[in-house]
Amino acid sequence: MQQFALWLAATPPSVFIQEHNAWTIPAFQSIHIVGIALVMGSVLMIDLRILGWAWTDQTLRQTTNRFGPWLSGSLWLLLVTGLLMVIGEPVRELVTFSFWLKMALVAIGTLVAVAFQRTLRRQEQHWEARLVHRRSIKAMAILTFLVWVCVIFLGRLIAYDHVWGSWSPAPRL
Amino acid sequence: MLEWLQQSSVAVQIRDSLYSFPLLESIHVVGLALVFGTIAILDLRLLGLASTNRAVSRILADLLTWTWVAFVVTAATGGLMFITNAVVYFNNTFFRAKMILLVLAGLNMLVFELTARKTMARWDTERSAPPIGKVVATLSLLIWVGVIVAGRVIGFTATRAAAPVDEAAPDVDFEDLLGLPK
Repeated sequence: MQQFALWLAATPPSVFIQEHNAWTIPAFQSIHIVGIALVMGSVLMIDLRILGWAWTDQTLRQTTNRFGPWLSGSLWLLLVTGLLMVIGEPVRELVTFSFWLKMALVAIGTLVAVAFQRTLRRQEQHWEARLVHRRSIKAMAILTFLVWVCVIFLGRLIAYDHVWGSWSPAPRL
Repeated sequence: MLEWLQQSSVAVQIRDSLYSFPLLESIHVVGLALVFGTIAILDLRLLGLASTNRAVSRILADLLTWTWVAFVVTAATGGLMFITNAVVYFNNTFFRAKMILLVLAGLNMLVFELTARKTMARWDTERSAPPIGKVVATLSLLIWVGVIVAGRVIGFTATRAAAPVDEAAPDVDFEDLLGLPK
């Protein structure tokens, strides 16, 4: 991975981002934060609907129709800006514990969101009438929200990978 | 005043800890994500771009508590980060820009309260808010994105200014650090 990061850092797109890092990196990071804000807003609303704390005059399906596209759109935006940051600073990103744990949680969060929307479409009646009232489903809603909170924490911790002590492969300065 | 803040025991403790600042920053980002995420939902509704099938008052009722709780968390963690290096932040252009933008966001909200909000009963279920409401919503989106950008740039400009020359990182020889064969 370290060798890959070093190779990536020498490629023309990476060199371009590095040479213009006064604006490229802050711009990518800012758009990335706007993206995560849209994810958090969408996930919060869907989860609050499952918990019965908001959007209660709308069906579950109506709520996911409203926020699902924003959630997936924002996730694509995050993927693009995230990739640009990896290309621009491969060693800083890839040679950290935080980054890889974050990627694992992003995968889990995305899979849960995709699986949820699929099963809701297939068994809409069952979801609206029964499943949404189940304790286990409500617990899942809280858990998935916490997964995204952890994703934000880990995203920020990429810059402070030393907090992981010996788990961090990042070079000590 | 700034010096005193910076030397307060809370500030010293945060500075001396390996974990406090990263933790505060992380909570700050979660908070601001929820602030912007929830505000965007309302602004898009006012503009008639999303959730148009729901009354604005209902959306306000769903969101407002969350926005304010998130704002308080964000402001509190922001304040704690500020005192760790108060003089540098206070003199940072982007920090000042961010504070001005936050005041503008407040004033923008006040304009909404004094105008469109008063007549809300009349347009509550309409597809979009009256013109003044749309102006407020557009400005709100722009101001908050500005707050995010300025906030991120503080991280690049303030720490650099804070680090005396002798603390500046030397040119890093990654091959050496990573233990790779030369």
